[in-house]
Amino acid sequence: MFALAEKGMKQIEKFIPMRHTDIRELWNFKKTPLNLLVAFTTLVFLVLFVVGVSNYMIHGHHAYGVTREHPWGLMIAMYIFFVVSSTGLCIMSAIGHVFEVEVLEPFAKRAIHGALVTLLSGFVVILLEIGHPFRMMIYNTISPGMTSAIWGMGVLYSLYLIFIVIEFYFLLRHDHKWAKRFGIFGLVVGVAAHSNLGAVFGFLIGRPLANGIYYPLYFILSAMVTGCYLIFLMYGFKYKLNFPEDMQKTLVATAKILGLLLAILLFFEVWRMLTLIYGGVPERAETALHILKSAPFLAGEILLGILIPFFVILLSNAKAIKTMVFASFTGMIGIFFMRYDLVHDTQLFPMQTLKIREYQLPPSFIEYTPTMTEIFIALGAVGIAITLYYIGDKILYLETDPD
Amino acid sequence: MRYAMALDYKNCINCKACEVACKEENGVQLGADKHRIWVGVKEIEGEWPNLSIASSTFEPSQCQHCENAPCQEVCPTQATHYAKGGIVMVDADKCILCSYCMEACPYDARYVKDETMTVDKCTFCSDTRLARGETTTACQATCPTKVRTFGDLDDPNSEISQLLKTREHFTLKTHLGTKPKLFYLI
Repeated sequence: MFALAEKGMKQIEKFIPMRHTDIRELWNFKKTPLNLLVAFTTLVFLVLFVVGVSNYMIHGHHAYGVTREHPWGLMIAMYIFFVVSSTGLCIMSAIGHVFEVEVLEPFAKRAIHGALVTLLSGFVVILLEIGHPFRMMIYNTISPGMTSAIWGMGVLYSLYLIFIVIEFYFLLRHDHKWAKRFGIFGLVVGVAAHSNLGAVFGFLIGRPLANGIYYPLYFILSAMVTGCYLIFLMYGFKYKLNFPEDMQKTLVATAKILGLLLAILLFFEVWRMLTLIYGGVPERAETALHILKSAPFLAGEILLGILIPFFVILLSNAKAIKTMVFASFTGMIGIFFMRYDLVHDTQLFPMQTLKIREYQLPPSFIEYTPTMTEIFIALGAVGIAITLYYIGDKILYLETDPD
Repeated sequence: MRYAMALDYKNCINCKACEVACKEENGVQLGADKHRIWVGVKEIEGEWPNLSIASSTFEPSQCQHCENAPCQEVCPTQATHYAKGGIVMVDADKCILCSYCMEACPYDARYVKDETMTVDKCTFCSDTRLARGETTTACQATCPTKVRTFGDLDDPNSEISQLLKTREHFTLKTHLGTKPKLFYLI
């Protein structure tokens, strides 16, 4: 099997420059405590993924905690989490290699690799969420519901995948002319796909909390924030915080951009909340107040996701790039809560407000708890993303200049 | 032809015969969450001794068969479509269970049918009773207090058209512009 894989790798090497074609190299890494911890965690996540998927295969959607009143759960949140990361990395990569902002060019290739990896992980999650994924592929094509944001999302994300694969191919071959061209396509389609994903929620006329322009814009903004966090994490891990001088400049520039983006995101959040609550509009205001008092919003989204990284940047004048690696870790946890909350909060207010059964209280805010199956698959998808990233990092040249 | 239903909801006694008849006629699976139609209970407001008896009403409901249905608009595969008479139907063969329609429906009228693992909802008995040539729905036929009147809005002489001409009525969540076809008679 190894010989066959090696043969395949050698064939690929004719088109793409590779660091290693020996697949056994994948097991060869420095056995530092941090590396071992990451490897062990990833392995645990992958095992959990297998357990979760097995349970899903046996019980179907019953293995998930979704209900009639709360049909979307953790799986949708994880899907959004991954595709947001993908779009964010694609945009950040494009700033460097498409718009030629030189200081941000060094991470162009690695960011596109990350974009590919997170997009594929997102697809894995959504395939396990959609009840009939193969039927989806057939009827999305032969019976398209053009007015559906989910249909648009399917088409645009498929195109996006194609474009970034080609862009990545040209980047790896150092063909900057064509990489730039496909980079532009990837960027435009990626932004379209991602804002369209925001519109999946924004188009819900019956859900005043989500309905409107906010989500399509917020998705792009928070995608860029996610892209910056992931760049810090990827390079923080790669250099184990001992950044070379060039990379320091790049990361300081990234931190400055991130600071601005976080300020805008905070501005968005403040005005969103004020607008939702102001005037006490029924359904909208009470739901917003409920969210405002909830821990995932305050501690998750605001504190971990925005304030901690923002103040690290602000207080250090964007120079504390080592601390930013840790702040990006809290940032990503915050980003997860942003995704989870936007899915859950949209469904908080019940569409059925009357009591319809005996011994039941009139419905209040809908509750949802993910099942272990959902949690296992969600963690497993993180494991898949880390594994794919590691494989790419190991076999491909992901820096601007091949070492 | 535009099928609709008028509900003289103040006559409802919450006997739930309509729910049972619907399950029986359409083979809806058992279970509290698996229902196509339901009776909502508005409980008595106020505190003893100032209880508002007028506030206590029953509100039978189901899919509103909206003329501008959000569920139809969001369906990525056109599984949800307008059938003959403007009835909003789900084609189980095309449904991918993305649950977007359940998310988009402002009336909580949809649920997942476990037999097919697709989304299901009220069909105005179009594939059962209407297909057999009958002119009433199961919920209407069984109602002991004649709450429900089913018929064609485009026929000016139909019972429902006459009722809507002579009685004041309202629809649910009218402000959303979904143009629901379930009319509550005042």
